[in-house]
Amino acid sequence: MASTHNGAEGGMPDPIHQFEIKRLLPLELFGLDASFTNSALYMIITVAVTFGFLMYATRGRSLVPSRIQSLAEIAYEFIAKMVRDSAGKAGMQFFPLVFTLFMFILIANMISMVPGSFTVMSHIGVTAALALLVFATVIISGLIKHGFGFLKLFVPSGVPIYVLPLVSLIEIVSFLSRPVSHSVRLFANMLAGHITLKVFGGFAVMLIGSGTYAALTPLPVFMAIAITALEFLVSFLQAYVFAMLTCMYLNDALHPSH
Amino acid sequence: MTNGSKGDAPENGAPDPREKEALERRLEGLGQRLDKIRSEEAAKAEAEEDARIHSRGMAYGLRMASELVGAVLVGGLIGFGLDTLLGTVPWFFLFFFVLGLIAGIRNVIRGFERLQAEIAAKTRGDIGTDIRNSDDDD
Repeated sequence: MASTHNGAEGGMPDPIHQFEIKRLLPLELFGLDASFTNSALYMIITVAVTFGFLMYATRGRSLVPSRIQSLAEIAYEFIAKMVRDSAGKAGMQFFPLVFTLFMFILIANMISMVPGSFTVMSHIGVTAALALLVFATVIISGLIKHGFGFLKLFVPSGVPIYVLPLVSLIEIVSFLSRPVSHSVRLFANMLAGHITLKVFGGFAVMLIGSGTYAALTPLPVFMAIAITALEFLVSFLQAYVFAMLTCMYLNDALHPSH
Repeated sequence: MTNGSKGDAPENGAPDPREKEALERRLEGLGQRLDKIRSEEAAKAEAEEDARIHSRGMAYGLRMASELVGAVLVGGLIGFGLDTLLGTVPWFFLFFFVLGLIAGIRNVIRGFERLQAEIAAKTRGDIGTDIRNSDDDD
């Protein structure tokens, strides 16, 4: 809302500019644009940071963990508990997937909080790819484990036969809506949060150069600080929600009848 | 007068009652300190638990809105796709739009039931007692 309002004013930094994809190494494969972009660069940084952190944290493998090792252990136990709670013991076979997704999203979001960096999760293409990966995993592993029994997911028990077709249709629509809500939530939250941050930062810059109104500058600065704290919380919560929903969907693949 | 074998100072019997009193006072003080630490620890644990439940509530809130919108969106898209394929604008769209709405509301209700069950399991059936601010009294 504020972003459209400030678009009319001159001299304000464009809050959308930060999400622009830039080609760093132009490359075309089979007629497709496969350039190495700033988004790809930040994904690689994310993976490198995650990998480096976990490797460094677990290098000692001491019984009494050092601080950084206990950080890694907390992350592990947090996700392991989440998987066990929502998908049962059998869900632990999907632990690597859930942990990877959680760490990737968390670290990408945290890196995006560094001023000037690119927000990987602000593009629906990225989050949709992650959500579709989960969606495909649920369908494929569900079909492998239960065969046609997996379709019981769409046939709730205890429903009278004459409304069953309608209820099944509703269940199918609900099932198909999962990757949409799964991806839109993450992308929209990151996008909106970073736009808000930039807008308040922009207000501060505008006010400080506006003569008498410069006295009001602390207001948007305080707002920006408060929103920065909120964004850190949202960054973590979004990674948590994404991982938790992944567990819940995987639970359906393991136990289709509910 | 009473024998000193029980106390810490067995060598003479005269200061025994006073010493006993002092010991008791010390014991009482120790107990009080222990109680204080215990209640502090309990309060801290409770605050942590509250914070966890609060952040879970926030995560839940973030989830539900998109759950509803996503289902309506997908329902509308399916209907619109069928309509353009079969040339029956707007009937499939209307039908699947309503289906999407129902599915979305079902998702929200189901999510709420799950959360409720989780809280009920944690509070042994007393829904509402555990969710409070850390500054509430007990």
